[in-house]
Amino acid sequence: MDVRIQGLSKSFGSNQVLKSLDMTFPEQRFVTLLGPSGCGKTTLLRMIAGLERATAGEIYFGGRRVDHLSPGDRNIAMVFQSYALYPTMDVAANIGYGLKVRGVPRAERSEKVGAVAKVLEIGKLLSRKPRALSGGQRQRVALGRAMVRKPDIFLMDEPLSNLDAKLRATMRGELKRFHLDLETTSIYVTHDQLEAMTMSDLVAVMDQGVVQQFATPEEVYDRPANLFVAGFIGSPPMNFAEVELASENGAPVLRLAGRAMPAPPQFDLSGAPRALVLGVRPQDVRMAAPEEAHAIPGTVWMTELIGSERLIEVEVAAKLRITAEVRSEVRATLNAAVAVAFDPSRLHLFDPGSGRALPRLGGRERAG
Amino acid sequence: MTARAALGRVALYALLAAVTFVVCFPLVWAFFTSMKPKDEIFFWPPTLWPSTWTLENYRALLQGKDAYFQAGSATGGQAPPSAFFLDWFLNSVIVTLGTTVISTVVSTLAAYSLTRFRFPGQRAVPYLALVGYMVPSIIFVFPMFLLMADLRLTDTLLSLILGYVCITLPFCMWLMWAFFRGVPIEIEEAALVDGASRLRVFWEIVLPTAWPGIVAAAIFTLIVSWNDYLFGRVFMNSMENLPLTVGVMHFFDGTHVDWGLMMASSVLMTVPMAILFMALQRHLVAGFGAGAVKG
Amino acid sequence: MHGIPPVRPEAKRRSFQLSDQQVGLLFMLPFLVTAAAFMIWPVAEAVRMAFFAYNPLRPDDVRWVGLDNFERILDDPLFWESLRQALVWTGWSILLQTILGVALAMLLHVSLPGIALFRGLLLFPYIVPTVVIALNWRWIFNSEIGIVNHALLSLGVIDQNIAWLSTPDMAMASAILLNVWKYTPFVIICVLARLQTIPTELYDAAKVDGAGAWRRFLDITLPMLKEVLVVVIVFRTIWTFNKFEEIYLLTRGGPGTSTFNLAVYAFEEGMANLRLGVAAAAGVIMIALLLVGTIVYVRVSGFGQEEKAT
Repeated sequence: MDVRIQGLSKSFGSNQVLKSLDMTFPEQRFVTLLGPSGCGKTTLLRMIAGLERATAGEIYFGGRRVDHLSPGDRNIAMVFQSYALYPTMDVAANIGYGLKVRGVPRAERSEKVGAVAKVLEIGKLLSRKPRALSGGQRQRVALGRAMVRKPDIFLMDEPLSNLDAKLRATMRGELKRFHLDLETTSIYVTHDQLEAMTMSDLVAVMDQGVVQQFATPEEVYDRPANLFVAGFIGSPPMNFAEVELASENGAPVLRLAGRAMPAPPQFDLSGAPRALVLGVRPQDVRMAAPEEAHAIPGTVWMTELIGSERLIEVEVAAKLRITAEVRSEVRATLNAAVAVAFDPSRLHLFDPGSGRALPRLGGRERAG
Repeated sequence: MTARAALGRVALYALLAAVTFVVCFPLVWAFFTSMKPKDEIFFWPPTLWPSTWTLENYRALLQGKDAYFQAGSATGGQAPPSAFFLDWFLNSVIVTLGTTVISTVVSTLAAYSLTRFRFPGQRAVPYLALVGYMVPSIIFVFPMFLLMADLRLTDTLLSLILGYVCITLPFCMWLMWAFFRGVPIEIEEAALVDGASRLRVFWEIVLPTAWPGIVAAAIFTLIVSWNDYLFGRVFMNSMENLPLTVGVMHFFDGTHVDWGLMMASSVLMTVPMAILFMALQRHLVAGFGAGAVKG
Repeated sequence: MHGIPPVRPEAKRRSFQLSDQQVGLLFMLPFLVTAAAFMIWPVAEAVRMAFFAYNPLRPDDVRWVGLDNFERILDDPLFWESLRQALVWTGWSILLQTILGVALAMLLHVSLPGIALFRGLLLFPYIVPTVVIALNWRWIFNSEIGIVNHALLSLGVIDQNIAWLSTPDMAMASAILLNVWKYTPFVIICVLARLQTIPTELYDAAKVDGAGAWRRFLDITLPMLKEVLVVVIVFRTIWTFNKFEEIYLLTRGGPGTSTFNLAVYAFEEGMANLRLGVAAAAGVIMIALLLVGTIVYVRVSGFGQEEKAT
């Protein structure tokens, strides 16, 4: 069942947290709402759940308008950040509560609870209270509560943020698996881009109550629609530099720190302003010899070893440092004169006025 | 353990023993006194340990006024105050339980409403409760008395219940408000998503979770209404309608003070509270943590 | 919509559901009614009565007297005596409770087997009815056959019986002692709770810096306790100042009027002299003093600050 929202706005007093959103969450897809805290992602999720009333706009589940319905009448399931297990009920009662409320007879209830518990491997915990469970076990109970009901829409609000790093990695895979088994439309809220990238079919990157880009994880990473998305996605974050668009020998070039390099061919530069912002991911920067053509010279400012890779920060101009992520064998001495070079096909160009990415040639551009 | 540490520990235990002694002595002494026969009470120097143990004081308190009326000739037809002890005890039990039920139910509902719904003036209510919580009973008591007189309720147990509700409700409200603010709303939202109605969420999810807070509020109300003297003194006239606290002070009315009876009634008045205290000590400390307790 | 447990028809069910606003109001209603009838109304009435001559035995003869009641009180030497004694009673009670409370809490802030049980025991005086304590006090401080005099005589501290409750100074001292007995444990519990939250690293750091035990108490413990002490002291001051039963049941304000405080004064005006208007005016004066205390409390505790932030 798809979820469509239309002109959805939400204000708390004078504070507008969602600004007239239109979007469709396709049926049986795993969609992530990703953004920094305060971007409105949780508010959007809570409005889809019916826990928050919209200031304006409409919500449809599979063509049926639901925004006047109470949460219990929407046939949704939700996993909360704190899991929100009922502290006074044991695990079995927690999982079965939704069925009990709907008047499912006791025998059928315990059968369904048992089946779900088996899938989640928490069969032995059924008579325990939430207090006596570990974080991972609570997480599973919360999932069980969602699974047992066979919901149309499965909502998750940062469900992994309370787990330790190792458990989080395993649970990512499991969550994705549950989504596929449940055959529901899943909407997942997180501020962790790794979760968004690894689990989602589609990612909606949000900031300041607006969806900045709504696309597949690949698209969001490879073709960020604007400066915000480009800067938010990717670790370490993308390098940005102000460049000047000029022409040398009839070919367009970008001037950066006194050097010129050929403009990336994938962008449509007709009508582009002279001043642009160049974006390049550290992974797309390599160390070059200072005399190499199109390389930008500078001095090593700092190096950091991060396992098999090394980050080298190169100061190429006053207050302008470019980070390169290179293999750990590459050595760099502090303050040594070096140079960096970019892979032109992996460059990003933005209009500093609007913040938008320049249009790409070939009509493959998809703006958010 | 070094010698110094051992010495420190001994000193500490000695101190604990001293504090325990000071805390417990008045009641222990009351108990010993109450078990002594009438003449032994006036021995000088006083006997620490009763030389003869007797229950005569308790018997006098607990036999009820019928026994006195049957033996009417002996007392000139006028029952002594001690004859009413059982009535007073029952009155105190009724008033205390009535107050506790009303105060906890009303404050629980209101505090929940205040923390979970939005309406105008919402923020003013806890402030008002705080102010109400600090207003001393002596200010309430006379207007309340006139109100009760207008309602023709003076000298009834109901008037006492209403009076105690008015002095306990603000604190219960404050305590439950603080409690509900600490209960994560997500649990209720999860139940709403599970399909339960608001009222069902309240009954099946909120109340069981709020139980420790409710118990703390109930204990506070029980203590205040069991221990109050002022309202009972102002509102009640008839001997048989008095609460325990007011009743036992009548033992001072005669020319000669019967300390044995007095100490026996002290013990009997404290026993219900002591039982409550032992059963619910854990909650008492928890409720205490929710805010300074009025006293 | 596969596999959804069958539910009752939606329309029918919804008609039984109350909207959030209605539930909120419904839950609030009993409190609002009770508060209006039995809290706000009596206080308003108490203020109104202060401007009338009011004798409960002659309910038809209620006269507006303006500020006469207040003038009468301010001209009454007994009022000033009561105020002075209330200050003595409050000051000594709070001072002793605080010093004793902090000192005992410091000593009890150790891990010993059974200490939790003991801390629970400390709350016991609070649950003992004031009437009971007053009775017991009258008994153990009885000047002829009281155990306290006997103990002091046998220990040689005194050479003749002390009239604890029938000389003015001693009566006040006995009342203060009763108050200290009943409420010091509270201070101990509050202070202990705070002590337990002071990180031990702070003390380690101070030791590394070379601070002795006394300096550590002054520079770490006391500042950390400041907040809780201020709250406890303000609360206890307000309630002690207005205490009625502790004094009245022990001494009835006597001997003479030597242990009157404002609450006893108001009670006697209303109950013995049947001047409810004067009692109410005394109450208004108490409310005024109380408001000052409340404002101090709100200021020092920052009550409501977090509310504004959310």
